[in-house]
Amino acid sequence: MRDIKAVPIAAEATVADRKTRQGRTSRIDPFGVFGVLLLVIVWQLLTAVLAPSSLPTPWSALLRIKQDFFRAEQLSFYGLPDTGLFNSMIYTATNVLVAVALGSLVGVLAGLVTARFQTIRAILDPIMMTLGTIPILVLAPFFLIWFGVQRMTAVLLVMIYVAVILYIFAQRAADNLDPIYEESALTLGASPHRIVWDVLIPGTVPQILGGIRIALAGAWGLEAIAELLGAQYGIGKIVQVLAGATDVQGIFSALIVLGLVAVVSDALAAFAISRLAGWSVAARAGGA
Amino acid sequence: MLTRSFRRADGQIVDALSAVSFDVLKGQFVCLIGPSGCGKTTLLQIIAGLLLPSSGTLMVGNEVVAGPSPERGMVFQKDSVFPWMRVIDNVQYGLVCRGMATGERRAIAEHYLERVGLAHVAQAWPRELSGGMLKRVAVATVFANGASVLLLDEPFGALDYVTKRHLHDVLLTLWAETVGDKPRTIVFVTHDVDEALILADRIMVFHTGRLIDDILVDAPRPRTTDALLTPQMVEDKHLLLAHLGLEAKRVGAASLAR
Repeated sequence: MRDIKAVPIAAEATVADRKTRQGRTSRIDPFGVFGVLLLVIVWQLLTAVLAPSSLPTPWSALLRIKQDFFRAEQLSFYGLPDTGLFNSMIYTATNVLVAVALGSLVGVLAGLVTARFQTIRAILDPIMMTLGTIPILVLAPFFLIWFGVQRMTAVLLVMIYVAVILYIFAQRAADNLDPIYEESALTLGASPHRIVWDVLIPGTVPQILGGIRIALAGAWGLEAIAELLGAQYGIGKIVQVLAGATDVQGIFSALIVLGLVAVVSDALAAFAISRLAGWSVAARAGGA
Repeated sequence: MLTRSFRRADGQIVDALSAVSFDVLKGQFVCLIGPSGCGKTTLLQIIAGLLLPSSGTLMVGNEVVAGPSPERGMVFQKDSVFPWMRVIDNVQYGLVCRGMATGERRAIAEHYLERVGLAHVAQAWPRELSGGMLKRVAVATVFANGASVLLLDEPFGALDYVTKRHLHDVLLTLWAETVGDKPRTIVFVTHDVDEALILADRIMVFHTGRLIDDILVDAPRPRTTDALLTPQMVEDKHLLLAHLGLEAKRVGAASLAR
């Protein structure tokens, strides 16, 4: 009587299916490798046409990375002694990670709260939307005046951007969460506190993590810009200094390091998403 | 006397339920039937405490319903199984909320998963299950939670015929088992006349927010295919079909059918 022969889908089959699909996401995509190769080939071909002073060859850029990795002699002429690409990258990466962590926290909390409390939403929505539309070039001078040429300025600039993105993502995720889950939890005896932890947060986590990934990708560029506009250290600062000396090869080496770190961090974020929100179809598609 | 009004987007006040009044006996299996938009789901949500009546009161036991309670479990029309929890964690969620010890609640959850025939997918994610399996998880969840009143809102409406019949058996078996001396009352919303006749002790018919008929079905259980063909059952079926506007109301329907 309780046989399940009438059920159209066998659970075991779908479990196995999911395992192979997840296995595929963790391997390196051959098309991705092809894309990178294509980029390098086009770059190499362009160097045949353009002068080395405007475009260095890929190989010379790599050699420059090796040479400047721990200590870059040229930089000491511009008042950046005892630093190399590695140290600067650590400085930039720390700023990005701190800004993304704090910005996400603020944005997610504000987004979830406003999704459930209309009055707070009415107050916060215009503030967040205004902040989100101010270009960083406009905001940066104020921050430089208020906080000076230091770490905090860059972190705050990136943080604001991350917080606005996560505010929108978290709010949308909570708006779109089917009310049936909260109703079901209520009829099972869940307290409001439990509903937040067991329904609202897990139910919105896939979209929030997707938002963090997008914010992280953008944060690298913003942090570099913030450093260009005023900083004492960092990859952006190196680019600014070398641009002043029209050292194209040096700029390329710095940008390649920044790009590689950004790509690796994005891959790590995708991996974390697939682990944390494995139940969600959307999260797995995003992580593939 | 219950009334529930809604303000529509265009500003008009609509009575989803108007002046409804009834009693349900403890342990009774009641089906609410009626065309869509007749107020069945609204009534169920009021019993669940998810909606409050605009006027009138609803009592369960000796208490006025003022909000949701784990004493009144609900199986929703749509899938309500949490996709972010494994099947077993869904089934024991209500018990977690009550602060029951891990071992005890696990045992209860496993028992009910076994009863609905899903012991083998306890560790699976809901998205790996079919629609019928998800309904069984929902049924196991409300039974595991030990509610004395179970509210089911067209739970099997979207399922294929075979799966639906299986789930009727599962539901009736679980309902017939009395835990302690606590019989379970079931209020089951449906628009399917045969489903109501197979399941119910009593069928309440709704139309445009009003209770228009209240039929006792005292056919013996288990109700086999033959049991549905007795003159009384056939007459009840004609009556229900007439209420749903599918047949003209007629006298002596049973004799004609024979």
